[in-house]
This record gives sequence, structure tokens and C-alpha cells, in this order.
Amino acid sequence: MNIDTFSKLQKEGLISDEEMQRVTHAENNRLFSLHWEIKSALYLGVLLLSGGLGILVYKNIDTIGHQVILLFIALLCIGSYAYCFRHRAPFSREKTESPNAFYDYALLLGSLTFVTFIGYLQFQYTVFGTAYGLATFIPMVVLFATAYYFDHLGILSMAVTNLAAWAGIAITPFQILSQNDFGNENLIYIGVALGIGLVALAELSEKRNFKKHFAFTYRNFGVHIFFIAAIAGMCIFEKWYGLFFLLLAAGAYLTWHRAFRDRSFYFVLLAVLYGYAGVSILLGRTVFNHLADDIYSGFLYMIFSTVGVILFLINLNKKIKQQ
Amino acid sequence: MIAWSSVTLDNLDIQNEADKAHRQGCISPETQEAIRKAHPVDLYTPNLVIRIGLFLLTCIVIAFTSGFFLLLALGSDTATGFRVAVILASLLCIGVLEFAISQKKPYRSGINEALLWSAVGLFCCGIFIENYDLSENAWALTVLILTALGTLRYADMVSSAVAYLAFLLLVFWQVIKIPYGTAVMPFLLMGISLAVYLASSRLVKRRALRHYSDCLTVLRVLSLITLYMAGNYFVVRETNSMLLMPEAPTDIPAGWLFWALTVIIPPLYIYLGVRKKDAVLLRTGVILVAMIVFTIRHYHSVMPLETAMAIGGLVLTGGAWALIRYLHTPKNGFTYAPSDEAGMADQLKVESLIIAQTFPPTARPADTHPNFGGGSGGGGGASGDF
Repeated sequence: MNIDTFSKLQKEGLISDEEMQRVTHAENNRLFSLHWEIKSALYLGVLLLSGGLGILVYKNIDTIGHQVILLFIALLCIGSYAYCFRHRAPFSREKTESPNAFYDYALLLGSLTFVTFIGYLQFQYTVFGTAYGLATFIPMVVLFATAYYFDHLGILSMAVTNLAAWAGIAITPFQILSQNDFGNENLIYIGVALGIGLVALAELSEKRNFKKHFAFTYRNFGVHIFFIAAIAGMCIFEKWYGLFFLLLAAGAYLTWHRAFRDRSFYFVLLAVLYGYAGVSILLGRTVFNHLADDIYSGFLYMIFSTVGVILFLINLNKKIKQQ
Repeated sequence: MIAWSSVTLDNLDIQNEADKAHRQGCISPETQEAIRKAHPVDLYTPNLVIRIGLFLLTCIVIAFTSGFFLLLALGSDTATGFRVAVILASLLCIGVLEFAISQKKPYRSGINEALLWSAVGLFCCGIFIENYDLSENAWALTVLILTALGTLRYADMVSSAVAYLAFLLLVFWQVIKIPYGTAVMPFLLMGISLAVYLASSRLVKRRALRHYSDCLTVLRVLSLITLYMAGNYFVVRETNSMLLMPEAPTDIPAGWLFWALTVIIPPLYIYLGVRKKDAVLLRTGVILVAMIVFTIRHYHSVMPLETAMAIGGLVLTGGAWALIRYLHTPKNGFTYAPSDEAGMADQLKVESLIIAQTFPPTARPADTHPNFGGGSGGGGGASGDF
């Protein structure tokens, strides 16, 4: 806080002497926060440690032997979980504060090593035989359980991406477009279903008041995968694209409605952008395909419609603020 | 000079200060409201989410508009037609930006950035396209002038960063021509960086330049980085061998000096940052430590990568753990508690997304070939290699 600004405000009579004193006191006793520095160091540390250990193990597999490696991974996993069990806050349906940042990353390390452990078992000893689904299913269940029991959003995100991987889709932010073959019709059905399911989970956790703060993560993944799958459906299906448009329109409407109730700019924006993309694709497939000067009219349509959306968003922003 | 009225920007600053004071519980909500009433702000500044959305949409509009212009210019075969079309589009961007500011007063709205950056980019395109005999000097000078104007008028942080880099490039191309230029270069660039750092650190406190304080902070960070990079062994050596390609020297004169600079400067930044409680120095120093590691590893294989990774990870995790314990109660004015600035990052749960991104599960393989992990994620990078 800037003391000069506040002394000016005091002269104008806008803040009382007592408030001015509090501001000066707070400013003079302000501490320098190392929060982000330490958190980044922890995160980088866990990343490097798990990565480095992984490669070390891989390179020395002949000399160490599988049992020793498995034992080591298991010990690391158990150790991390033990630390978390000792320091955890009692389970609650609400959000629980983690005791310290180290706890969060110990939990992360524990979950990661567990996932590696299961994967290793399957790879080396094919414990689950040919039921490959099981090898993703078990980590997913454990990740969900960990996320709920210890209340960790990062692990919840990992669990959700594992759920999607189990269903056959990659939904991490950078892979959602690059790793998926949306030309595959099956994938589109799965994407739509998964999206609806995740949003339903978000609704459930809010309705039942069970880990309410998880709703954002579920809804975020769900909304994106649903819309992307629906848009892919509009592009690919020759006959049924109208149906996918209706689906997308319904989804956009519901997201919009819901976002207004929560006053969430983010989901309003998503509803508008995906809805607009859907309308544009529909118009492209029905109208612009059959026009003579299609390039010019297409360009003009894009320019004017996008300007329209921009003005719409600006007005909307004011509307939500005023509410 | 600046596009918005100075009073409004001052009021914006006052409101932000009042919000901070309110968050810390220093002033009552009524006081905050009274301050807001007395110092109204009529700028349009949406929150970060809408800002990104507006930025993307504006970029789409600009792309299609310039595309439309180019379509119209398609008839003429010469490059002049293209050039005129692109420069017209650039001028149109500036025109729209000025018009928007005079009407709706957008300020850091996403629209501003998109229009300004596109205007500069398109203008440069118009000048450089098919223009092969333009010298590097003219090139850097054009960028410098355009971005400097953009910085002065719109106080845009990216413009100021680009302007600074263009300026350094301009110096680089002048000095390279004089005899012994390459030998003097590192020290000259370091000197300039230091001067810019000291100047911007002074100027950022000036009241007359208060609307440009963000730009000056950007300059402080960048000049610290260029100060380090100009003396970094890797940068100096690679630049030298690039410039003197035919001789391909294996080593540079006074190599020990650059090694010393490489290793000493980041800890020095951190030390000064801790002493002065200066976040810019501290964070820049921490980031540049990575550059030390990179430089050393590039020339000397101290240990295999995986051992370095594991040990580095252990040191980082252990160090952070020790720091958290040490700062359990605040010491020497440092604390582990998060600062009072409410961040958008928390609201969007960015951290959880980063975790999900860096430990991705590989999608389940088709049920024919068993793969390690069979779609289980994690082991952070390990699973992919098996």
C-alpha cells in the first residue's frame, strides 16, 4: 500500500485517523512473502526427483533387479502417504486447509509413485493379465480416493485425466487437441458422454454439498471435452451435424444459464465462444457452401460477427458486474 | 501523451490501493465505498478471463480484416499492392484503437493489446515484405521507433520490452562494425543494461512517471536479465563463434572472466534481493540460477542428467522444506504466508491444471500391445521411456 495515497485521502476526509493509523501500521510491519518462491521450488523439486529417479531406475534395471526397485518405489509411496496420514486434517465434507505446503507435495509424490508402482507391476509381471483397463482403473480409483480423503485439487485433476484415459481420451490442457483423433466417431460419442458425466458430477457435489470446491475442476474438464467433441461431431458427420448442433446449443444454453447463476465470467465466456463457433460452423455448412462469392462473404461474415460477439461480451461484462 | 486522462488513471490507482487496504482489514467497507464514489473510474477493464477472450476475438477480427484487404489486393501482381493492403490494415487498427479509447475508454481490456500489437506487427510486415536490401539497422530502428511510440502512448508493457530489446540490437549492430567490436561487446552491453536498470529503478519512483511504472518494472527485470546474458559464458562463446565462423575458435579470450560472471551474478542478485527485500532482484536471480546450471552442464558433464535431476530435486525439496520450517514464525521480515494480493491464478485453480498437464496419463493403448503403465500416468517422464 502506498502511504502517500492514503495521507492524501485522509486530507480529503475520506478515511478516518484511526484507519490511517491502521494502514501505516500494516504497511510498516509488512512482511515479504516468499510463498510463491517456495511453492515453485517444491513443485520443481518433486518434478525433478520423480523424473530423475525414473530414469535412474530405467538405466540401472539390469544391476538392481525388479524386486528392489519395486520395494524402493513402494517404500517411497508408503513413506509419503504415512507423512500425510500423520499430518492430515480430519476428514470433512467441506474444504480442509492443508497443514503446510510440504504436505501437498508429499501427497503428490505418494500418488505419483503409487501410479508408477501399479504400472511397473503390470509391465513386469502382468499382474492384471490382459485386463489392461484394470491397470488404469486401479490408479484412477486410488487417485480419486486420495483426492477426496486428503482434499487435494491437483490430484483430483490427475484422477479426472486418468478417468478420461481409461475411457480412451486425453484431456490434459495441451493434449486435448493434439493427441485425440477426432475423426474417430467412437471418440466423439465418448467425449460427449464423458463431458456430460463430469458436469453431472460437478452438479452433484454442489447439490449434496460434498466437497463443493471440487465442482469447478469437474465442470472445467467436462465443459471443454463436451464442446470440443460436439464441434468435432459437427465437422465430421455428413448427415447428423444438425443433431450435434442442437446438442451443442443445448449445452451452451445450460452452461450460460448456470454461469449466470454462479456469476462466473469464465463459463459465460466459454458458452459464448463455443456457441459462436458452433453457429459459424453450421452457417458454413449450410449457407456459405452454396454461395457464389463464398470467400468474400465468408470473410465479411467472420469480421462482422466477431465484432458483434466482442460488443456483446463487453455489454455482458457490465451486466454481470452490475448484478 | 498517454491515451487516457491522467486523473482517471490516478483514481484507478487510488481505488486499487483502497481495495488492498480493505482486504487487509485496515478500512471499513463504507470507507471503501466512499473512496470509490469520490474517485470514480470510467475505464473499461474487464477481468482476466474476459480479457483473454476479447484478445482472441479481436485477433480473429484483425486477421480476417487484413485477409480481406489482401484478397482485394490480389489483383495487383507487385509487392506494392500487398504492402499497401497491410499498412492500411495497420493504420485501421490504430484508428479503431484511438476511436475505442475516445468512446468507451477500454484500458488493458484485451482489445487494446490485440489492436496495438497487430498494428505494430502489420506495419513492420508492410515495410519488410519483399524488401531484401533493407539493412539490419533500419530493421531494428523501425521496430524501436514503433514500439517506443506504442509505449509512450498506451503504456503497454510488451511494447516497452520489445523496444528495449530492439535498442540493444541496434547497439549490437553498430558496435560489431568497429574494430575490436566483438571483444568490447559484452562489457558494453553489460554497461548499458546496468545503466538502464539503475535508471529505471530510479524513475519507477518518480511521481511524474507513475502511469508508466509497470513498463519500468518490465525494464528492470529485462535489464537484469540482459546484464547477466551479456556476460554469460555460453552466450558470449556461441555468439563469438557465430560471428567468426571461418576461424571457429575453440575458446574465447579471457574465458575465466566470463565463467566468473556466469557463476557470480545470479547469487549476487539473490543476495541483494534478500537484503533490499526486492522481489524483482530476488525472482530474477532465482530464475537465472537455472541458467548457471545449464551453462555448466553444456560444457562439462559433471554428472549424468538423471543423477543431477534427482539430486537437484532432493536439494530443492529439502531446501523448501527447511525454509518452510524456518519461516514457521516470520523472521527478519520474511514470511511463508501468501501475500495479500488476491490472484486470478487461485480462482482458476491453475496449479491443479499444471499438475494434470505435467503428469499426463497416456491414453489407454488399443488392447493389442501391452505398454508400460498401460495408460497409467506419472512417474513424471519415466513412464514414457519404458
